[in-house]
Order: sequence, then structure tokens, then C-alpha cells
Amino acid sequence: MERLNIKVNGKDYELQVKPWATLLDVIREEIGLTGTKEGCGEGECGACTVIMDGMAVNSCIVLAMEANNREVITIEGLAEGDRLHPIQEAFLEKGGMQCGFCTPGMIMSTKVLLDGNKNPTDEEIRKALEGNFCRCTGYTKIFESVKAAAEKMRGEI
Amino acid sequence: MPIKRYMDRIDAIEKVLGQAKYAGDIHIEGMLYGVIVRSSIPHGWIKNIDFDKALTYKGVIKILTQKDIPGENVYGIIKKDQPLLAKERVRYIGEPVAIVLGEDESIARRASHLIRIEYEKMDVVSDPLQSMNGGVKLHDDGNLLSHRKVIKGDIDRGFRESDVIVERTYRTTWLDHAYIEPEAGLGYMDEKGRLIITSSTQNVHYKRNEISRLLAIPEERIRIIQATTGGGFGGKLDMTVEGYVALSVYHTKRPVLIRFTREESFLSNTKRHPLLIHYKTGAKKDGTIQAVKVDVTGDTGAYASYGSTVCLRVAVHATGPYEVPNVYAESRMLYTNNPVSGAMRGFGVPQIAFAHESQMDIMAKELNIDPLEIRIKNALKRGSKTATSQELGTSVGFIETLKAIEPFWKGRKKSGTRGFGLGSMFYGMGNTGISNPSSARITLTEEGKIALHTGACDIGQGSDTVLLQILCETLDVDGKDVLLVRADTDLTGDAGSTSASRQTYISGKAVQLAALNLRAYLEKEGFYRGRGISEIYRSYRDRGFPPFEGYFDPPTEALDMDTAKGKPYATYAYATHMAEVEVDRITGYVKVLRVYAAHDVGKAINIKNIKGQVYGGIAMGIGFALMEEFIPGKTESLDNYYIPTSMDMPAMEAFIVEDEEPTGPFGAKGVGEPALIPQAAAIANAITDAVGVRPYELPCDLERLKKLL
Repeated sequence: MERLNIKVNGKDYELQVKPWATLLDVIREEIGLTGTKEGCGEGECGACTVIMDGMAVNSCIVLAMEANNREVITIEGLAEGDRLHPIQEAFLEKGGMQCGFCTPGMIMSTKVLLDGNKNPTDEEIRKALEGNFCRCTGYTKIFESVKAAAEKMRGEI
Repeated sequence: MPIKRYMDRIDAIEKVLGQAKYAGDIHIEGMLYGVIVRSSIPHGWIKNIDFDKALTYKGVIKILTQKDIPGENVYGIIKKDQPLLAKERVRYIGEPVAIVLGEDESIARRASHLIRIEYEKMDVVSDPLQSMNGGVKLHDDGNLLSHRKVIKGDIDRGFRESDVIVERTYRTTWLDHAYIEPEAGLGYMDEKGRLIITSSTQNVHYKRNEISRLLAIPEERIRIIQATTGGGFGGKLDMTVEGYVALSVYHTKRPVLIRFTREESFLSNTKRHPLLIHYKTGAKKDGTIQAVKVDVTGDTGAYASYGSTVCLRVAVHATGPYEVPNVYAESRMLYTNNPVSGAMRGFGVPQIAFAHESQMDIMAKELNIDPLEIRIKNALKRGSKTATSQELGTSVGFIETLKAIEPFWKGRKKSGTRGFGLGSMFYGMGNTGISNPSSARITLTEEGKIALHTGACDIGQGSDTVLLQILCETLDVDGKDVLLVRADTDLTGDAGSTSASRQTYISGKAVQLAALNLRAYLEKEGFYRGRGISEIYRSYRDRGFPPFEGYFDPPTEALDMDTAKGKPYATYAYATHMAEVEVDRITGYVKVLRVYAAHDVGKAINIKNIKGQVYGGIAMGIGFALMEEFIPGKTESLDNYYIPTSMDMPAMEAFIVEDEEPTGPFGAKGVGEPALIPQAAAIANAITDAVGVRPYELPCDLERLKKLL
């Protein structure tokens, strides 16, 4: 077992983890935040996307110890109390999901995109979400949600 | 009349917050984890299983095999031929042999690798044609699972009277549902010793029935609850994890979670049937189709699953949405040592649509008729007779879907290696020629809510929202006045499975009928004059309420066993898609640029949901047409089984045609499968238009198209 110091959604944790444990294992099993999903376990589908030090990562292929002394944000860390994050609001209003299993990862990738680019083009949105698979929606409502989120974050709506 | 009460998805808020609980998210203190040990060979006798190393692995609690099944070790939705755990023989790679239960998931997984199974290998049947010709017998009653014919008119005369005959052969391969949530389920025994299972599923009542048989315990001792489900597309209709969870809880008396990895999902779930389709069409010079002869051979894999359903549906839909006077369609499903094929969005109709729509375009070209014109000319309309000689009375909006696409079709501008293609379809709502009812029940609560109890599983498509909308619309109440109790065998009646595009149409009607019963009661009790539900509830609580129930079974007639004459479905959905593609001649890469899709849904209950289904269907159709191919033993991850990503999606526009179906709720039919069915066909036709070569095999991926070019 190794000692892991990690900040998740603003809270510090000191945990004993197995050396082969992934960041996803720690988030879901140790910390108990199950909003982050496992869809493939090999970094293809993006359902496990979280933000680590500002970067979108597939937490299923990041070893927990690689996150030592780092800061991680998961889907549970976006809303402030009852107030949704503008991206969550946009996905809610635009109906940017069906089964919802890809949604947390989709929202986290969107956050990284919009934190770095306030007004992404359609092509930039597609590119940013390329690693987040959705099998239900055909992505249209997701693109619309991202655009609406960008407008909200720019204060336009 | 339009639907007045629009409702946004009721599950959206918990999904954007990450709070929706999928089965694999549930944690109960002290729960065990189960991992399935699977066959590594396609066919053989099990000579010996060595458990010693696994049993002594620290943290392993128990290992279960077929000997531990107290009831009948067999299941299957239609034909009971599949063992939960292999008896003495395995028939495909991935067939479950044992369950390892451990204190945590990694223990169970590591221990499962320590189990050694010794086999005596048997000859392998890997092709349905080989299976048909005998040799190795896969089941006691032979290798032919199902054989159906649809016969109408005089096929020989039809071809004699045709001026042009087009005859071609088409092939499709295995596809995987690839829902983003792999299969998962959790079970435990409650304080009264009842078995409770929460799983990712498309049908709760069917699974209760199977578990009752497997464990030899009465159904009332079992409760199945649907967890939030991350997609289904037919792959969560059969038993997935439920039987293993049930058996594990039965023996350990502890909570047990089983969740498949992506690899296990690929190995275990049923696939889209690969079909070999010989198709012969005869037409007059003016484009009138005179005769269609179709011969289909399908690979159903090692066990039956939905093979016979697909067999019949393919034959019944073989002509496509066209009136053909002379039809001879024959379809066979053969057992092989390949993966089990079963239900996948459309039950074989996307495959046959690829064939009938290619035929339509080839015929149009032969006769120098515009592809849209030839479709309109032969289109099913009111009064038409289908291949099963069913006269279509109401809600036949097919021509309207063609008309909706017409302006874009006429306005197309071909240039370079850009091409355009049409694909059309019809699709029977609900199960084929058999009863498939749904029920709904409404109760009032002390807090003043109207509670809808429905057994219908929302797998992401949005039936929860649509059913509540139908409730609100019928009662003239708002979303805040109602609540939903969903898919729980203790609390809801049987609504049948979420399949065959049937929930809006059939369960929606059951909800509407239940709501009409309640409405009559509420009118009498003064609700519409301002008396609240709480008050009505309190004043009548002690006397008990009359049941507000609804039941609907679409009017169908059984099909003749030899000719399939009859009324397989009460009603059909119709659709036309148009695809624009650009082909790179050097690489064989096809980019889908734009898709227009028109669907006759009867009546749109929830436009956002319908468009979501249509766009999702287009995505899956792009996968089917261009990239998806499951190869047993090879493509067991999303790294080599490609599904469309955000980069693969075209610009899309959906048009809704409303030719109301009188038996449906407010006139509604279904759209879930129709959304997908014509898409691959439209792309195949567009590729031909673009580069002049025609794909006869899907997926038309880089390799296949390069060969053609």
C-alpha cells in the first residue's frame, strides 16, 4: 500500500492505496463519488473523464499515485450547493443526454474546453469531445449544450 | 390536435449532477463481487475443471458451477435452450462456466484467471451454410433454429410479367450494441429472505420469471428493480448478469455485485445477426415492382435468444415499404459456434433494408427512373396490401416522408466524389403476430400527487418522460402534480419489454386508458372544480379507491405458419433518410456530410425526444454502414471495435410526419428503431452515386471500399 495525498473537489484526502489502483478506483471506491463512470477501462470512451490540475484525463488509465499531490475535479465538484454550473444548466436545458452514462465525462471535457476557449467553433467542440463516446444521442444535443454553455459562461444568456 | 403539455426529460437533473445511480454505482456494506469464468474455445466437452488454486486464493468466498443451480439450468426469451452455466459442453468462446465470488472485485478477477478448464475439443461450425449441410449437430433438435416463409401471389408469374429483373447478394456482419454502460446488477436478500435484484435492464418481469425457474423459488419471493440504465438497444433484453447475481446471493446470503468489463460485455452480449441475403426484384418498364424473391440465411450463433424473432421479422419486412403483388421471402436461422446473436435495434430489419433499398436504386438506374420517383410509385399507402396480405387502413405516412425529403433531393448538386442516396423503411410496432400487452396503474397519494406505476423500463430513450406527459395530457394536470413509480416487479405491473419500438405506442396507450378511468373519477369528485387530490384522497382513504388501470394489447392476428398470411402488427412506422457523402478515392474513406431524415411517428408526443432518437439512430447507422464489425476473438474492446465519435457526425435535420394512428395514444406510434433502419442503406446508395461502385457488404470500411475502387 502507498500513501496518496489528493485534493478532490476542494477537499484534501490522505489515503492508503494499492500501487496498481487507478485514479478512477480511488474516486469511486475509496472516496465514494460514483458520478465518474467506467465504460471501457482503457481510455477509449471517456466516461471516466475528470479534471486533474486543469487537464481532462481518463481516470481509468491514470494510476492513483500519478495524482499524488494533485488537484482533481469530478462531476460532483461543479455545482455549488443548489446552484448548477452553467455547463450543467446548459445540458439540462438542451436535453444533452439520453441514457446519461457518458454525461459526467462529457461535461468535464466541456469544462476544460470552455475554461480555455470562451467561444469555440463547431469544429473545436467536436475535436474537444472526440474522446467522449455517446451511443444514444448522435451528439447533436451535446454540441448544442456546449454552445449554450459557452454563451452562459460569456454572460450572454 | 398538437400535444399541449410538453415536458423536458425528468431524469436530466440527476444525470447532469452525476447523481443518477446505475447498478454498478450501488454499494452495500459487506457486499461480494462476482466474476464469470468463460470458455476460451468455441466447441468442446468439459473434461475437468481445476479450482484448487482459485479456491485457496485469499479473499475468495465461493466458486459456483452448474452443479449449484437448484432449479432448471436453462433460459431463453423464446426458446429455452441456453444454460446459465455450461453443463458438460461449451458451444462458443465466452460461454459462462463458473462464477468466482470474492471480497473485492480484483480478488475475484485474479482468482478467476487461476481456474484451469480442460476440454476435449470438438469440430467447430463457423458458418451457417456449413451448419445447414449437417455434420456437427449443435443441439439435440438439429441446427436449424427457425425457418419462415412469406408468400403472396404467384412469384413465377410475377417474374414472367416483369420487363427487368435485378438479382444481387448482400452480406452483413456482427455488430455490438456498445452501450456506454456495460452490464451490471446487484442483489441481496432482504430481512424476510426475499431475493432483491437491481440491474441494468430492458425488462424486469421477464427476468423475474427466469430467475424463479433457475432457483426453483416462486416469483413472489423475487423482486427485480430496474436501475438507471445506460443504454440497451436490445442487448439488455436477455439475461445478462441477473441469473449470476441471483445464484450468488442464493448461495452466500450476502449482497453481490456483478459488473462486466467492456471485454466481458463484448464476449457475453448478443450480437446483431449477420445475414446473407439473396434478393431478386422484377419490375415493369414504368417502374412498377411485380415480384420480389428473397432468400435469407442468418447466423444465430450458439443459442436461440431472439433468433426466431429476427428470422420472421426479416421475412415480413423483406419487400420494404412497397406494395408488391408477388412475394416469396424465405428466411432461415442456423445455429453455429459463433457468438449468440439476438435483439439489436431493428431485429434484422436494418440488414434487410440495406438489401431492399440497394435493389430499389439498382432498378431505378436500370429503368432510368429517379430513385425518389420509383419509391413513390411503389409506396405503401392506405388500402395497400403488405407481403402478409394485411390491408393497411390507417396511419400510412410513407409518401409524406418521401415528400418531406423531396425538396432536398431535387436540390442536390453532384460534384466530384460527392454523392447522394435515399433509404426508406417501414417497421411493425410491437411483437410480430403475437399478443404483447402492456398495463399501467395510477394511485393517488396523501401528499396530493398522482402516481403512475408502469413496468416500462426507460433505458435512456425517454419513456419515463413520455408516459408522464401522456398522463398529464389526459388528466389536464402539470408535471408537478404527478410522480412516477417505474419498473419494479413489486410496485408495477408488467408492461412488456422495452423493445420493438413499443413503449410509447403500447404502454403509452395503457397509461392513457388508466388516466381516462381516473379522469372520470376525478370529474365526479370535483377535482376539476377545484377540489385537491389530498382532500379527495383523505375523504376516500378508508373506503379504498377503485383501481385506475389501463391495459392495451395491439390488435394483431397470428401469421399462417406456411405463408405468413395475417396481420403481424396493428400499425407500422415509416421513414425516409437522405445522405450526402464524400468519398476519398485513394483511401476509401467515406465522410457523411449531411443527413435529412423524415419519420412518420403518428403523433409527436415529445419532439425533443424524437429528434434525439433520430439523430442517435443516424449515428448508429453510420457505424453500421462504415465502421462497425465484431470479429469473434479479435474485437473485444472499444480500441478495435469502432463506434462513431463526435468527429464522424454529419449535419442532420429531422422532419416529423404525423399520420395519426387511431389505436395509439393521441395517435402516436414508435420511432426508436425506425431512426436507425434506413440510414446504412442511404449511405450505401450515396457511395454508389459518388463513385459508381456499389457496396454489397457492410461495413463498407476503408479496406472493402478500396477493393471496390
